Amino acid sequence: MNPQRRLRLFATVSHRLFRDGLLFQILHNEDIELVGESETGVETLQRLAAVRPGVLLIEENLKDNDGLTIAENALSLHPALSVLLISDTPVNSSRMAIYLESGIKAVVSKQQSIQELIKTLFYIRSGQVYLGNWQSTRDRADDALTAYQALSGREREVARLMSQRVAVRDIAEELGVSCKTVHSYKDRIFVKLGFERLPELILFMQRHHQRALP
Amino acid sequence: MGHFHSPAVLLRYHSEEAKQTFEALFAQDFSIHAFSSDEAVLEHIAAAEAPPAALVIAGCETSTAINSTLLVQARTQYPTVLRVLITERVILSELVALLDTQVIDRCFEQPLDPDLIRSHLLTAALTSPELSGQTEHQPSLPNTEGQRPVVLIVDDEPAATKYLIRQLEHLQDEFSLLSADTAEAALEHLRTPGAPIAVVMTDQRMPGMQGKELLDELRQSHPAVVRILTSAWGEVDVALNAVNEGRIFRYQKKPWQAQTLLPLFREAIARHRELASALDNTRCETRKRFAELRLQRHGRLVDHLRPILSAQVPDTTLNAFLDTVASIDHLPAAKAHLRASQDMHLEQELVRRFCDHVRQELSRLENIVPAGPGQSRMTSLFSGTTPQERATSSPPCSPAELLGQALNTLLVSSGLDWSHLVLTESRDQLHVAPEQPLRIYSHLLAPLTRLSDPLLEQQAALLMLFVTTSLLGGDVSAEADGQCLHLAITLPVLPGSGN
Repeated sequence: MNPQRRLRLFATVSHRLFRDGLLFQILHNEDIELVGESETGVETLQRLAAVRPGVLLIEENLKDNDGLTIAENALSLHPALSVLLISDTPVNSSRMAIYLESGIKAVVSKQQSIQELIKTLFYIRSGQVYLGNWQSTRDRADDALTAYQALSGREREVARLMSQRVAVRDIAEELGVSCKTVHSYKDRIFVKLGFERLPELILFMQRHHQRALP
Repeated sequence: MGHFHSPAVLLRYHSEEAKQTFEALFAQDFSIHAFSSDEAVLEHIAAAEAPPAALVIAGCETSTAINSTLLVQARTQYPTVLRVLITERVILSELVALLDTQVIDRCFEQPLDPDLIRSHLLTAALTSPELSGQTEHQPSLPNTEGQRPVVLIVDDEPAATKYLIRQLEHLQDEFSLLSADTAEAALEHLRTPGAPIAVVMTDQRMPGMQGKELLDELRQSHPAVVRILTSAWGEVDVALNAVNEGRIFRYQKKPWQAQTLLPLFREAIARHRELASALDNTRCETRKRFAELRLQRHGRLVDHLRPILSAQVPDTTLNAFLDTVASIDHLPAAKAHLRASQDMHLEQELVRRFCDHVRQELSRLENIVPAGPGQSRMTSLFSGTTPQERATSSPPCSPAELLGQALNTLLVSSGLDWSHLVLTESRDQLHVAPEQPLRIYSHLLAPLTRLSDPLLEQQAALLMLFVTTSLLGGDVSAEADGQCLHLAITLPVLPGSGN
């Protein structure tokens, strides 16, 4: 894989709110270039030739057409396109086999996390099928939880305050350390938990507050 | 359907540690049968009801795998079983040797990416190897009869390429050679019709698109073209990726020697012929089977729709609808479609759900009014707002209103709206036609992988368009052009009732 080459993404998602939510998260990633977006299948097929994406992210249920039909048509015109299908529900093995034989590279269901979706985008960028997260029995939130429990007491304290949006200056004051120290705690926490931005930490603390407590 | 039963994976381990590591990573997803000897593995496969999804060799050196009789036997006796090598460290020359003997399909070294390995194993369990998923999107293979196959060499040093080509042309006349100095130029060659390119050998390091990326693209766009990667640099990671992702035929180290390349290209051309004929056979077989399915589906649709419609319209209306649908082009049938038809009860479901849609639409029709009074409402219908806004009101509705709604559904599924309708009124006729053809990407008689509401609604709308126009004493003209449908409706208008 050539790191200089960006992932050229086209996103076809009917509902604006859902599309915005996905794209805001996806575009935090510097390696992804959004070359187009659309809310309908017809428009997607019309625009693909001009923008030449490497990956097409498409919802199964579009308002004008079936996303899979659109994907199949897109693939007949651009066989090297990698398609990631977003399904409403988890996909069983018979359906997954059909999708793969249709040329779909990966399926992510709406029950899965945004991190899974982004990770999947990168695996399929060179035309590889990716099923690594399909029906995986492992809950990835558990990894973060394990990592959280392995944090030092101080780190956990900083994580808790940060997730409550307490300013670095105030955290430093409360803990009686310098701002620089708080910043280095912050970096360490993010690295250890595998997070990149504050909202991820806030969500994690919210969702796992009970279990995360020491 | 419930949880996918864990696919079987056979593990031949060369150390206790390798076994434990593998089981810790994958026991949740696969049912692992672990063996410490080759004989035990072969005995197990022979006794098992079905071959496993994959055979994994773990904890040995690459060199051990090269001489593994187990791998050779598995390759010849159980070609559908994915052969995977997991090793501490891959040495390039040994990987090259592994490729030469074609004993492994995938190779991974430490540190392992468990998700990636899981993905490869699951894919092998779900689909039949290699050619699946790639057969349907290909342009027909060029007719190469009477033409010599072509070997395309891609390298950014044209002098070296030219010299090699001249040498090879002296040595043989079985194949001809072409060169390209960038990956982009190579793709251009492949797009040119008429050149029967059988083999592509590409350098890895080039300005612009890299060799590996070119091969990734070719694997998908031209699966019958045999791919060889070549490099002067011993990059193990690139070679590993090319094996696992690019499924390359060989990895050829530079500098090139015409004498070694000649047998390699001969072998590659033979492999290309195998692949091309396998693809052709699959394609023919698939199309034949789909043609039968389509005939059955057509018959079933007629049988079920006729009684539903007979009270409203003559049989000719249903026939006109089905003839129109049949004339619209669709994507070629592929394995996925046959599987969907057979494994997923798609055929029965299609007829049942489509008939439900049609019944529901028909139930909204008010008692059919004799032509005449209804007509005055029709012209106003087309001059007003989108019928969708009115459709929120509950039934009953007149045939004209239902026609309006059907038209609207068809427009929306083609990315158009009500404003794209062109109305022409003459003294006693109203012509209604979308200003652009409708787009029908799939239909009732096309190969289907999935039944979706948009598809059923669109197809029901097309039928309702024929039904309501017939009820109103009008006429539908529908002409297919590829996946497009030129549609025009003519409706009678009583003099003086319009505007």
